[in-house]
Amino acid sequence: MIRSLYILGQQSNVIYSKEYAKSESGEGLVEFLVNFAHFISSVDLEGKTEYMGFSGTRIFYAARRDFVFMFVADKADDTAQIEERMTQLVDAFIKDFATLAEANLPLEGLDAKVDEIAVTMVKVAILGYAGVGKTTTLHLLRGETLPLVHDPTIGVSIKKLPDEVQNANIVLWDLAGQSRFSILWAKMIANAQVVIIVTDSTLENVLRSKKLVSLVKEEVPEAKVIGIANKQDLPTALTPERVGQILGIATYELVAIDISYRDRLIQIIRKAILEGKGEAKPVPA
Amino acid sequence: MPQAIFVVHLDDYQGFVVEKRHPFSFSLNEKILNLIFYEHEKEEKENLRYSEIDNVRIVSFVDRARPRWMACFVLTADEDYEGLKEEIPGMGRLIIELMVENPELVHLDEILESHSSLGEASEEQRYAQIFLTPSSGLVLEKIENEGVERAAKLSIWLKSQVQSDSVDLRESILPLMDSGIVNVEIIGKGIEAVFLVKDVFAYRAPPVEAITKARKSMPGLAAQYQQRVAEFFAPPPPSRGYNPTIPSDDPNSPLVEDREKIARVLSKKIEYKVLTSLRDEPLSVREISNRTLLQEEIVQNALFSLESENVAAQIGEGIWALVTNPIMESFIPEFVLPLIADKLSNDEITPEIARRHLEILAEKWSGEQ
Repeated sequence: MIRSLYILGQQSNVIYSKEYAKSESGEGLVEFLVNFAHFISSVDLEGKTEYMGFSGTRIFYAARRDFVFMFVADKADDTAQIEERMTQLVDAFIKDFATLAEANLPLEGLDAKVDEIAVTMVKVAILGYAGVGKTTTLHLLRGETLPLVHDPTIGVSIKKLPDEVQNANIVLWDLAGQSRFSILWAKMIANAQVVIIVTDSTLENVLRSKKLVSLVKEEVPEAKVIGIANKQDLPTALTPERVGQILGIATYELVAIDISYRDRLIQIIRKAILEGKGEAKPVPA
Repeated sequence: MPQAIFVVHLDDYQGFVVEKRHPFSFSLNEKILNLIFYEHEKEEKENLRYSEIDNVRIVSFVDRARPRWMACFVLTADEDYEGLKEEIPGMGRLIIELMVENPELVHLDEILESHSSLGEASEEQRYAQIFLTPSSGLVLEKIENEGVERAAKLSIWLKSQVQSDSVDLRESILPLMDSGIVNVEIIGKGIEAVFLVKDVFAYRAPPVEAITKARKSMPGLAAQYQQRVAEFFAPPPPSRGYNPTIPSDDPNSPLVEDREKIARVLSKKIEYKVLTSLRDEPLSVREISNRTLLQEEIVQNALFSLESENVAAQIGEGIWALVTNPIMESFIPEFVLPLIADKLSNDEITPEIARRHLEILAEKWSGEQ
């Protein structure tokens, strides 16, 4: 994921910047980038995009005419994808904004163009057996009123999260939990960056759900897997810690019918996206 | 005739996307798309399914080579599904192929009206798949050298060749099995053996039939056409022309590269249909369109693609002809007989495996000689 983006001009001055995620390096990063841009403008990159590691992130850079372009991205990001976006940004900037920048005129429309290029789509799959509250979790995430009648999902229901999380559009794939639809699961979770395995916190269901963890790890080994111990308001519910122990993944408590859990759940997803392949850490309640 | 057609693509991020529909006013919901997809996944071998969902009668087609696409035909209340069983797969195959290769050429109404379609993969198209799957090509070379080999040993060899444990022999060997080049059988106490049954040769042949016909039907163009072909196969020195029979051990030799090109040309379903129509004689775009039932725009596009591969060329005003005729042919692998004998005398294979190999070769080739 692109955390921030910088375009520097002739004197290595920042003519445009946008930050999508807070960086630990903060001001120090900008200072470094300005000095680094000065160096870049003195070497010939032959029109290519290069990258280097920097304080847990990766800095991608390219130069064209008198401008230097930089992305600060996560280490786990696909290099080819980021390079392609860099090419898109450089081409769009040189075509429509370079002359304006040289004349010190306002860069109208650049912000929208940058969003178009830098905002990514993140697929979050919600998996679990029938009746554990997957669709209710989807409604919770979307801030929707819960339907009064239970209407089982057919195949898959795909909805967007209304708010952007960092610079990502989150697409939620709510997979039908009925066993007849289990033949679709492997195909439907393809390319998911985050998979949420929802359980109803009963021992029987949690034990069954272990199979889902294996399926996800086999089909999308790159995805971040999160366990959800739903229905914590019921007396038979196992604790999230116990559910997590059984599933072998970081697991969080949830009462999907309680709207107060919404922000916390979004924070969990946000953290999972940011951490990429790393282990998710529990978000304090 | 179906009252509506829609083409659905399962996108990893956006889910089911209706990429094209006819008529445009025809509407669908997520439930219908989900259930059609589910029906196909339930029975993976079947590529044609009939469903009745919310009083809508739908026949859907999936090409297993393009698993994320579905071409769906909505039948009227009194339409007979059985009567359309033959026709719909061909139309579906064409629609999906065009959607993947050249979506702007998909005009569903025209396809429906003209009954344009694509047939199932021919034998040479199945051979082509071998050279489009790099690990299959490797396995073929190995089995050509060995004649017969244990699957377990072949698997270890393949992993060492590609330096990866994730390579799956089953996937690599599938195009070889589909095209009948190898047989895989369990012999004796659980020994899985891979037998070479046929070998395959890819080359560009001179389009002799088309030239002969051109001499009769278009004498004014025939000399020019022949000259064009001769320039490719036997150009004046110092150029060496094209001779696929010269042996080459160099994996980077132009002939090995050309074999891949031939495989690519043959595997492209639309180009292949146009190519086969030109094997007989030179034709105009309209004539090709009439014979193949493909729209002229699609034919023209395929011809440009064949031209870029040195397969077809325009030899006169609006007349197209083959300059080279890409062919993949199988032949009896006689060279395996001494290999079997050697392996048997060196105890590398059991008498049972040797006997079975000879049986398979006899079964395969005795009827075809």
